[in-house]
Amino acid sequence: MADAMRRLALHFLFTPFTRLALIAWLALTGAMSAAQTLDIRSALSAPGGSSVFPADAAALEVALPDEWARTRPGFGGTLWYRVRFGALIVPASDDLLALYVEHVCSNLEVHLNGQMVHSGGRMGGHITHNCNHPQLVALPSALIRPGANLLDIKVAGHALAEVGSHQRAGGLSALSIGPQSLLATRHARATALQVTAPQAVGATLLLMGGFMFVLGFINRSESHLAYFGALSVGWALIDARLWLRELPVSHSTAEFLIIALLGFITWAGVQFLLRYAGVRHRRVDTLLPMQCALLPLSLVVAGPAHLNAVANVWYGVLALQVVAAAVWFLHHERRQRNAWPMATMLAAAASAGIIEFLAQWTVTRPPAAHIAQLVVPVIFVLVGLRLVQQHGHALHQSEQDRLQLEQRVREATAEIEHNFRQLAELRVEQVTERERKRIAADLHDDLGAKLLTIVHTSESERISTLAREALEEMRLSVRGLTGKPVRLADALGDWRAEVVSRLAQAGIEGEWDAPEELPQTLSARAYVQTTRILREATSNIIKHSRASHCSVAASINAGDFQLVVQDNGDGIAIEADRRLDRGHGLASMKSRAKQLQGQCLVESGPGYGTVIRLTVPLDRAMEGS
Amino acid sequence: MKTILLLEDLPEIRAWLRKLVLEVFPGAHLSESARVHDAIELVGAIKFDLALIDLGLPDGSGVDVVTKLRDVQPEAQSVVVTIHDDDEHLFPALQAGAFGYILKEQARELITEQLQRISQGEPPLSPSIARRVMAYFSAKAKPQPSANAMPNVSLTDRESEVLLRVAKGYTLPEIGVQLGLSRHTIADYVKQIYRKLNVSSRAEAALEAQRLGLFG
Repeated sequence: MADAMRRLALHFLFTPFTRLALIAWLALTGAMSAAQTLDIRSALSAPGGSSVFPADAAALEVALPDEWARTRPGFGGTLWYRVRFGALIVPASDDLLALYVEHVCSNLEVHLNGQMVHSGGRMGGHITHNCNHPQLVALPSALIRPGANLLDIKVAGHALAEVGSHQRAGGLSALSIGPQSLLATRHARATALQVTAPQAVGATLLLMGGFMFVLGFINRSESHLAYFGALSVGWALIDARLWLRELPVSHSTAEFLIIALLGFITWAGVQFLLRYAGVRHRRVDTLLPMQCALLPLSLVVAGPAHLNAVANVWYGVLALQVVAAAVWFLHHERRQRNAWPMATMLAAAASAGIIEFLAQWTVTRPPAAHIAQLVVPVIFVLVGLRLVQQHGHALHQSEQDRLQLEQRVREATAEIEHNFRQLAELRVEQVTERERKRIAADLHDDLGAKLLTIVHTSESERISTLAREALEEMRLSVRGLTGKPVRLADALGDWRAEVVSRLAQAGIEGEWDAPEELPQTLSARAYVQTTRILREATSNIIKHSRASHCSVAASINAGDFQLVVQDNGDGIAIEADRRLDRGHGLASMKSRAKQLQGQCLVESGPGYGTVIRLTVPLDRAMEGS
Repeated sequence: MKTILLLEDLPEIRAWLRKLVLEVFPGAHLSESARVHDAIELVGAIKFDLALIDLGLPDGSGVDVVTKLRDVQPEAQSVVVTIHDDDEHLFPALQAGAFGYILKEQARELITEQLQRISQGEPPLSPSIARRVMAYFSAKAKPQPSANAMPNVSLTDRESEVLLRVAKGYTLPEIGVQLGLSRHTIADYVKQIYRKLNVSSRAEAALEAQRLGLFG
């Protein structure tokens, strides 16, 4: 499940990347197909701030692209270029002729045969920044002469020393003149690659970065999100130059701000890598902000004239820091199973950085350089998505953990309650047991001793017998009070030993019949009551029946325990029943059986002996008192 | 002439027992005591042939006297005379070395007979005591960590057979008939069972004491 989700997420991550690659490829092919256009690779150039080509000044033949930093080191200001072209290129009747300038920095004006046909914006003061914007200029047919045509291009730009990057230094690329329909396609492709796509990615980055910054800021344990957000926002701000071509500030201020921003970006980037790996360095924490302050300070001290030199030093320093952080990060995370997406993205960013570095030495930047420049923010977007995915995953995980924890707490609480209940029950049982034992001991010690004294000191045999019976009763009661359930087999053993030896002593032949395997148990109460009934029945036989034979049969029948005591004695006369009942204890036998939810039936007739049938339901007998 | 110790706290019962003992053993020399403490002193001073010992006494349990007697006078027969008929009370006394027990409330003739039988080497054995003895030895039969330190006291098959039948409620004469053995042979088995119970229990107690000594 988790694997499938990850695959899906990667798919989403890489889809925008493939789309961009497609755009880049289209742009490349577009640049190559220019069969019907005139490519101009040289021009006359002359410096001058006037509104027309300075014809009086000595014009120089220069090759296009013309990079001022090479042809006119230190030059900044306005420069005129003059190009002648014949009427060789005749567009179709429904098409216009157009001039396509792939790269001009910072701004240009186009004059055709002395008439201004295009202006890219402000040419003086805060010069409009058009370095990234390819220019497409329609050349009105009315102005085209059948013979030679003069195309003058006025370029306003800055010396390399005053800018942070070759890309923003003054210069003009090769020119193309051809049918507008054809050039418009090229222009559109180049614009898409250099302007629209970076703008879109930049906007995305700004939004996402802001979002992540807030997320990381709120959630301090995920501070890497905040740093990544800052990194993204910083990068998006640098790209904002594409939106803001006409800044209300001077050129040097804009350059200063951009380079200063790089310090912050490095801070955020390095910290992001450290925090993402879960590490925090106090020295890094203090040194990076200090560097952020030092960088603009050094730029101010050096002044606008040395901006490029100072900036280059800083680029090296910052790049080293970022590379070191990335290498450290990869080393630190090398054992992590999920480190490869980050490693891939860092590698891609590194190659983009190398391409950008190499591109600094070309005037017209190759499309690869544009792509490389686009790749970095795209990587940021991808990393951001990955972080969001991880954050979401962690959130989900923590939610799961919380639910699990809650479940465990619930279980533990239930268990504690259960244990507590059990403990309370156990305690009640223990207290009851102790109390029963105390009562039993008291009965034995006091009542027992007294009854025993009566048994052995009474002159009257009747009183002695009564006291003995009372003692037996007392003992049974105590056992009923304290006793545990008795196995039926054990109970039968006890009963057999007592009944058979008593009968033998009385000279009566005893017969005992009981099943061997009896897993059932009797409650102490049932055991005691049954003992009493059996003892009473035996006593009756010995005392009154004059029997010579007695049989006792035990059986289990449909959940009932049944005991049948049969003798061959005189039997109990029905008329005499009432009178003799006391002596025979038949009533008490019956009532005891009733107490156990059983019954005790007596069948008898004079001369036929007596049959006593005792039935005790086992289930209820097992429940205890 | 026999020397007999009589330990009983109730004066009436003691008097009654005295009369009864003198009937069974005419001319016997009786030493009487109402307290455990006094009885133990007597055991140290006089050599007894027989001791009738009550269990529940004001200053302790008669079991201590049984133990003491077994220690210092192994030939003397201790008989527990008690009101308690349950194995919970009787079993510890038997483990301590009592050779049979008599229930006090029984009729005089019955007690006389039992006393005679005991002195002739025929101790009584109830089903519940038999079950308790069986449970004791079968628990011992299970392997224990300290087993090799224990003397190997176990019941023979015949002894176990007798115990099992007693537990089922058969009387000793009945068992004799069932096993084709004389009444005396059966009585010998029962005696052996009592002896082994005592030997094994004493060894266990000694081991326990040793263990406590080691840790204490």
